[in-house]
Amino acid sequence: MSTELEEKVGMKIESYTFRVEKGKIRELALAIGDLKEEYMNGEAVPPTFPTVIDFWGGGSSSSELLNLNMKKVLHGEQEYEYFREIIPDEEITVHGVIEKAYTKASINFFVLRKDYLNEQGETVLISRSTIIERH
Amino acid sequence: MFESLQKEEITHTQLVRYAGASGDFNQIHTVVPYGEAAGLGGVIAHGMLIMGFVGQAIGQWFEAKDLRKFTARFKAMTRPGEKITVHGRIVDEKDDCWICEAEAINEDEEVKVKAFFEIKK
Repeated sequence: MSTELEEKVGMKIESYTFRVEKGKIRELALAIGDLKEEYMNGEAVPPTFPTVIDFWGGGSSSSELLNLNMKKVLHGEQEYEYFREIIPDEEITVHGVIEKAYTKASINFFVLRKDYLNEQGETVLISRSTIIERH
Repeated sequence: MFESLQKEEITHTQLVRYAGASGDFNQIHTVVPYGEAAGLGGVIAHGMLIMGFVGQAIGQWFEAKDLRKFTARFKAMTRPGEKITVHGRIVDEKDDCWICEAEAINEDEEVKVKAFFEIKK
């Protein structure tokens, strides 16, 4: 493993918060075409809703932190562990850290772990994203 | 084996809509010349959209709120014009949850997403 990659492990992304807006729940469900009533009225969130929290709450800080070329970046794997329901209108705070960084077949892999906390400080979700950077 | 979820053909408009909804504005998903310059031969769908299709299927098979764990491996790129179907099944169980797998495939049975999930009994 290159030293440059190794140094990325343990790096933290800037924490961010996002209020779970009903309109964003509905918008995501419509984009997927998953028209369940509880999503349409914003009473429950689809399983992949955390991606909205990431992009609208945090912007592109992980790619900036890793200094990635967005033309070469692909999403390799996504894992969610759900501990509590995400409740509409609550504010979620996200802390992220680079858990792994390695090269395989001259492709860079990064695993970004994010912990999502509710207003009581309880973990509602843990996400692990494997980001691939092609050369 | 659960009842499969058949999605409609993916359109450019859907990718634009998904970009706005998710906030992932990487232009490889929405701007054809950019996707071509990136060596992708055009735009590709957000992997998270295809995972979203699997999430929709899970919500059809179970209550989505009972999900404990959901993993998606993105195996192949998906492009506008492709039609995705999601298949899934229970493969094992623990005391308190079902262990299941699912795949999102196109009409040529190319696997786009291989998913694993655990759901509370």
